[in-house]
Amino acid sequence: MTASVTRTAHQVSARALTWLHTHRELGALPADTTADLGDPDSVYKPLGESALAASLVLRESAAGGTELRLARELMDFCWRQFGDGDMLYERLLRYSMMTDPLETYAPFARCGIRHEPLERLLAHTSALRSVRGAEVLPNRRLAVANAARVAGLDRGAHAYDWSALARATWLGATPEPWLIDWMTGYCVTHTVFHLTDWGGHPAGLPDDLTAYVATWLPVWIDIWAEIEQWDLVAELMIVGCCLPEPYCAPADWERLARVQHADGLVPRDGDPVADDPGRRFEDHQHTAVVAAIAGTLAVSRTLGGAAEQR
Amino acid sequence: MVAEHVERADDPKAALAAIRVVGADAFAPYLLADAVFHPQDAAAVTQSFALFPPPVTTPDPPPAGAAEPWLVAWRDWAMATLLARLTDAEPGGALAPRPTGAPVLTEADQPQGGGDTDGQDPGADAPDDSGRTDTDWQRWSVRMGQLSPLALPGLEGPVHTAARAAPLALARGATRAVLRRDFPTAARITRWLALLAAEGTRVPLDPVPLLEHLRLHGGGPRLALDVAIARRLLALETA
Repeated sequence: MTASVTRTAHQVSARALTWLHTHRELGALPADTTADLGDPDSVYKPLGESALAASLVLRESAAGGTELRLARELMDFCWRQFGDGDMLYERLLRYSMMTDPLETYAPFARCGIRHEPLERLLAHTSALRSVRGAEVLPNRRLAVANAARVAGLDRGAHAYDWSALARATWLGATPEPWLIDWMTGYCVTHTVFHLTDWGGHPAGLPDDLTAYVATWLPVWIDIWAEIEQWDLVAELMIVGCCLPEPYCAPADWERLARVQHADGLVPRDGDPVADDPGRRFEDHQHTAVVAAIAGTLAVSRTLGGAAEQR
Repeated sequence: MVAEHVERADDPKAALAAIRVVGADAFAPYLLADAVFHPQDAAAVTQSFALFPPPVTTPDPPPAGAAEPWLVAWRDWAMATLLARLTDAEPGGALAPRPTGAPVLTEADQPQGGGDTDGQDPGADAPDDSGRTDTDWQRWSVRMGQLSPLALPGLEGPVHTAARAAPLALARGATRAVLRRDFPTAARITRWLALLAAEGTRVPLDPVPLLEHLRLHGGGPRLALDVAIARRLLALETA
């Protein structure tokens, strides 16, 4: 059973990573882009997500040599898009309250790609009560805390109160599992991602929340797979890989492999997939990122590696 | 109450058939509330068995046999057993035989469905094309829901043993049914959770708010009956 998950998950993630690498130029920033970013969600945020996937492939080192090379090249591509970090620096310099420069920087920091002026600015800005007190959703607050942890800013007087951050989320309330909706599903997945740093630190999920997620995860995967919400299904499969005892069901992996296209595209849902290459990338880039991460973590966890030994 | 229903009906034969459709739950007012069971009520139920006799032999449990006749046989047994109990009939004198087997649950993270699961085919959990098996928690919980009239005090058998062995699968099944907006199925499965909770078993899901949710969101007489019985089991309503 475990061997079949390892094999299928490797195949899904290798293909998704290859697809992200092959089509990376479709996700390049327009030539006239400045740090002001009129629409940060259009290209800037997806670039950060591709970098995140690549950084986790490199962190786990569970992929083959080809995939590790693709991941390094994808990291380099994204870093160049961000002006070797200068753009993130300029953006934070101009907009002190924005958290995306830190969140976007974290995957690079994880892989040892650093930008010293940005780090000095982050250390100052992220410690300000004004920034810490900003009004954001609890799972978004966790995203910032985890980025700060990865960048080495979660320490000393500025350490985050992880327990309080966890309790503030929807998941932290261990709510009735039968009332969850699609958007709340994403809140749950991200709460787990950030508390565990994408499966690198499974103990970061408090014990009672671990038990809660382990109890209800199979139900949520089942109902969203039935209505072909592949993006959320794959995110929930990442959640399974983030648990101290990973939940990686062979049937889930075989199903995700079946919906993946031959070129590596993973459709975000059951709707028809466009033919136009730009549109394909725009619509399904996020799901490829999610599938690459899910597969990488599933391979690593089923092999018993990478996630910290406790 | 049962006899009154038949007497008042324009079509007594249809009324007797309806008793069998409601099945063992027709006895819920006597078991869970203060309705008085009269000899005429017993006569009406006995007459329904005479008019619509259950098969003499019980069908094989699935997967060897078809599911539907086997489910009906269990529901007939439940009704016949409670009739015998309420009329102090001789043991073994029930009007329907006891089938064998219980819904089979084979899930990696579940204990097997109790010791009293006679007549099972070990090949029952072979996955189909979609990787699903006929004995996963999804299908198992639906099948347990189809047997919800057995979730009454005074009945005991392999189906009850299976329910007690798998509160997690019942809770997952109820949750899945709510999320799929299949409220009647959710109510049927939640009855088993209510029965387990009433027996003092720890269940992974609080049935109380779930029943209220189903009562307010679901519709139809069958759901109303399942919810009402579950609430009685949990002593949320008395008298």
